Amino acid sequence: MKKYLILVSALVITIASCRKVDDSSVFDKSADQRLTAALNAYQSKLSGEKNGWKGMLTTRTGGIYTFYFQFNDSNRVKMLSSFDSLSAVTIKESSYRLKALQQPSLLFDTYSYIHVLADPTPGINGGAAGTGLVSDFEFYFDDSTTTADQIGLVGRFNGSKMVLTRNTAADFTAFNTGQLAGGLMVNKILTYFKRVVINGTDSADLHTGRATVALADATGNLLDATKQSTYYLTLGGLGFSKPLTVGTKTMSGITNMSYNAVTGFITATIGGQPAVIKPVAVPAKVDLTSPARWYTWTKNSIYVGSLDGFHQQGVDDAFGVKTLAGYSFTQYYPVASPPYDAVRIIASTAYGPAITPSFPANTGRVVFPNSGFQFGTPPAAAATVYAKFRTQLFQAQGYYLVQTATGGDDVTTYDMVSVADATTWISWEY
Amino acid sequence: MKLVKNIFVASLVVVAVSSCRKEDALNLEDIPGLGGDTWVKGPIDKWIYDSLTVPFNIAAKYKWDQSELEQDKTLVPPKEESVIPVLGSIKKAWINTYIAEAGVPFFKLISPKFLVLVGSGSYNRGSITLGTAEGGRKVVLYQINSFRVKGMPGYVPADTTTVIEMFHVIQHEFAHILDQNVKVPVSFGGPSANSYTSDWLNVTPTEAKNEGFITQYAISGKDDDWAEMVSIMLVYGKAYFDNYVNSITYTTPTANGTTSTQARNRLRQKEASVVTYFKQAWNIDFYSLQNRTKTAINALLY
Repeated sequence: MKKYLILVSALVITIASCRKVDDSSVFDKSADQRLTAALNAYQSKLSGEKNGWKGMLTTRTGGIYTFYFQFNDSNRVKMLSSFDSLSAVTIKESSYRLKALQQPSLLFDTYSYIHVLADPTPGINGGAAGTGLVSDFEFYFDDSTTTADQIGLVGRFNGSKMVLTRNTAADFTAFNTGQLAGGLMVNKILTYFKRVVINGTDSADLHTGRATVALADATGNLLDATKQSTYYLTLGGLGFSKPLTVGTKTMSGITNMSYNAVTGFITATIGGQPAVIKPVAVPAKVDLTSPARWYTWTKNSIYVGSLDGFHQQGVDDAFGVKTLAGYSFTQYYPVASPPYDAVRIIASTAYGPAITPSFPANTGRVVFPNSGFQFGTPPAAAATVYAKFRTQLFQAQGYYLVQTATGGDDVTTYDMVSVADATTWISWEY
Repeated sequence: MKLVKNIFVASLVVVAVSSCRKEDALNLEDIPGLGGDTWVKGPIDKWIYDSLTVPFNIAAKYKWDQSELEQDKTLVPPKEESVIPVLGSIKKAWINTYIAEAGVPFFKLISPKFLVLVGSGSYNRGSITLGTAEGGRKVVLYQINSFRVKGMPGYVPADTTTVIEMFHVIQHEFAHILDQNVKVPVSFGGPSANSYTSDWLNVTPTEAKNEGFITQYAISGKDDDWAEMVSIMLVYGKAYFDNYVNSITYTTPTANGTTSTQARNRLRQKEASVVTYFKQAWNIDFYSLQNRTKTAINALLY
């Protein structure tokens, strides 16, 4: 009897142990078949759109860049990028492929504009060595943000986000006629502040950095976080990641930009209303206390410095201090040798005018009169650059000071803008 | 009873056999990526196939594949326009020179079979990795996007540094592979043994030179001392090496107690060791190879 029990139980185990589990009740196709189908579907969606796709890429550090992609069915992609004035108008072709990594993924697998943002090489994109602007060129498809006319992508390495949207025929034409560079038109206005006037009534002073824009607040500085935004290029204009308030109007983007070389103004549309962007000689609000604050800050910091020297007429380091042998930075050293402050070029040797700044009352300005003395002796090779530097520094009308960052002394920054020529300024940091 | 028992046993056998029978062959047609990545081949793929794969069985991967690279580093793929110039230069100044000295069978036997190209450098804290080699098979070359030789658009004399540095990397890695195939004699590093330090980044190039090392990196250990000696001598040529050795003339011994005579002797002894090894292990005339390599690199640059 015991024998039968053993035999019967052996039979049951044998039958049960080798029973195939049928997984068709959960999915009607195998994982590989479904993966292949997904890749094929994405492939035909990407390459099937003859007008191409508009990509909005947000890097992990928050920079927003606009791309144009035109995929074909043989692993080639044509691209434009809002990174600079060249990449916005010059189509570059490279390769791409779809690959089953942990998820169905889109790889831009040879170098093109999208890699510029992720490039770890210093000097390519202005980001730090080893990380670049913390972006991606290998993305997985994010179905939660995907619709018939839109594809959501998430970077596999840094987690940056990109949304591809189908181009209309008009978008296609706009990209292929260089309109992505339209927003760069804002750089034609060279003054420190650019005045935006909407519908002739509401206005604000705007300062644009490399990727950020800020409006001057009631006291004339740029410290109000609610008036700051990241901007990006759109077709023929600019978009802001956060809408900004200009008087009674809301500005979430600038469209239809057009530059008039005669007046030097840009006409545009903001929020459906006509707008003008124009150069500003005197800011709407001059910060009357900033020169005194700035001077206290320089003293608390022992000295402050500027890496790039004077910016003028749209040119960084307009006088070429960075070309001087051994150039390190430009220094403002208060009470270096009482009664004189030193404004020195720190290069192989250090040299610069000795000055006693004056602060004319209720003007919000600082003036650096020429005392006739100087610290150190400039080498003969530096004579031309040094002469330009001195002439600029001694400007009789002096400078406005615009505070651009606040916090401890080590994070505070100021821009010192020439009163006589608002296209000229120098940035001071700790 | 016996019959019942037999039926039981028979049915057990039948069930056991049939229950594990495979119904159909598995459907393998649709596994994505099975057999490697595929894409529509272009002129670069054809060039690599014709110039490297067919004659030498060497593959070159220029399209991005994170799995071939360090997973924690920010890197970018190469520019397409750089791929053929880089590989063409490698062929001229590395493959062809070794073949001229040692013959095709030697090169096919020893050469790494898989080159991976990366557009940027690989940034570490305080240094940049320009190349790595794995197991004698795979060599990863970085900074492809800043590679320019004579005749390429935008070539400036400063680009010679990038090109020379790339050949330095290749020869360095190839020297490791030679070492892995036929071991370099222990006597190579003997006289230098007490100067090796893993803290090589904190040794200045001058300090390394004064200790009798060809580069800063060479002081990191015997294996890299070997690879640096071979690669620098090949890429920079004999005149550079002689000049380097003869310029060690300091009078006060170093902190390690090394004198300039000792430093010069160390370099000469290592040079002799390299020449002997190449002759004995591979029957290669090192000075002739050195001359060929330097000439080929100069032809790319000047």
